[in-house]
Amino acid sequence: MKGVSVIGVGMIPFGKYPDTNITDLGWPAVKAAIKDAGIDPRRIRAVYSGTARGGAMVGQRIMGRLGLAGLPIVNVENACSSSSSAMAQGAMAVAAGAYDVVLVIGVEKLTKFGGGTLPLDEDDWEVRLGLTMPALYAMRAQRYMHDYGVSLKDVAGVSVKNRRNGALNPDAQMRKEVTVDEVLASRMIADPFTLLQCCPTGDGAAAIILASSAVAKQLSSDPIEVRASHLTSGRFMSGFRDMTSPEITVRGAREIFEESGLGPEDIDVAEVHDAFSIAELIYYEAFGFCARGEGASLLNSGATGLGGRIPVNPSGGLIAKGHPVGATGAAQVVEIVRQLRGQAGARQVEGAKVGMTHATGGGISGFDHGACSIHIFQR
Amino acid sequence: MAEAAVPTTRPFLCGDALGIDASGRATLIGGRCADCGSETFPRVPVCASCMSENIRAQAMPRVGILYAFSVVHVAAKKWKKPMRIGYVDLPNGARVFTHLDGADLAIGDEVEVGGGTVGEDDEGPITSFVFRKVRR
Repeated sequence: MKGVSVIGVGMIPFGKYPDTNITDLGWPAVKAAIKDAGIDPRRIRAVYSGTARGGAMVGQRIMGRLGLAGLPIVNVENACSSSSSAMAQGAMAVAAGAYDVVLVIGVEKLTKFGGGTLPLDEDDWEVRLGLTMPALYAMRAQRYMHDYGVSLKDVAGVSVKNRRNGALNPDAQMRKEVTVDEVLASRMIADPFTLLQCCPTGDGAAAIILASSAVAKQLSSDPIEVRASHLTSGRFMSGFRDMTSPEITVRGAREIFEESGLGPEDIDVAEVHDAFSIAELIYYEAFGFCARGEGASLLNSGATGLGGRIPVNPSGGLIAKGHPVGATGAAQVVEIVRQLRGQAGARQVEGAKVGMTHATGGGISGFDHGACSIHIFQR
Repeated sequence: MAEAAVPTTRPFLCGDALGIDASGRATLIGGRCADCGSETFPRVPVCASCMSENIRAQAMPRVGILYAFSVVHVAAKKWKKPMRIGYVDLPNGARVFTHLDGADLAIGDEVEVGGGTVGEDDEGPITSFVFRKVRR
């Protein structure tokens, strides 16, 4: 991708806002991004707004609240990749020259469902028969531990690392560190996952302002380049599939590295889709940060912690920052932009120049995931 | 021995995907594409390999290998808990998401299809196909 830059980001702290409607969750993030960019909001030419479960016309509701409607607004639904997909659409529109400034929104309110696992679509065969997202990832974990001889304590280490990072992030939903013993002793959800190996239920919103790089130079003193943008869907496989290596992310990683001319060794910091503890280990491998089966060793070496070779999820990730599903991809971009600008405070990855975001999701029969969107940013 | 499908006046949760074969044993009914030969479970109206709509009902192999499973403690109220669910790979290439019965299951086990009660709601018991470990 050429000629697209991020000039502003904003988000609200992820958490539980049962008394706030989705419109009022969303507009403060948009206002924060506009303020961060320091632009006249009338410079925005189009809006791409992602939500998975927020209902219809959420982008219009938010822009209407701010008195900024009356421009093209596209609402994007792609499960957990909703706002990362909105980001891909916005970046593509700018790269194509259709608009020189666009706004990307991600917003979700999950507390309206009253807790429990994320409600899925009962039209889906496996969901109708009882599949839940924790159970799906739990089966990945069981098979991964079986194939690679990895202990549950190793897998649970992801939660310990990400909660440690989240404690340093004022925007994180879970801000208390936990020990591996606490993780393993928490309530059993879907064997082997205890509660602290699962992302929490919560609400949130994040927003990004993209501009053509030419316009970004005029409007911003510190634009961050969108080096590559990738979106794909999973492949339908009615038979065998290797649940320890999700083809959608493996393929996405290969394609975005081809597109950008970069490789895993070039990434200084990454936000990946750790909806459950096992996922982060699997994604280390999918992105080539380590070989197949080496994810736990990489984690235990400290390489993916703050100060390590390739810090992953410095924000706390989905496990600690929270996972209001449609808001997640946009919030990952907020974190990486802050990291590349050197604005990440106590969780700053020193000298980070290239960062990556990865949001994937959608539990549907026959797919590893429904959608996956990856972005690489460079300062 | 596999248990026979539980008789009930209420349809199976899985609809006509669970049938009884000539010897009275529970059998999964999937689909076979009459044009390219792909066999899938469940049966769907169009073939994902060749887009043919010429899909016939096809009895699935009754025994498969347990690929992965989980014992689930948190799920909607209607499900019997703990809820054992997993993926079973059948020798014809189909993968089946299924409820499981038995406390001593392990990945790689040979499992066999039967019927069983998997939950209960206001209308009574919820029944579907259930795989159990093959006992020799």
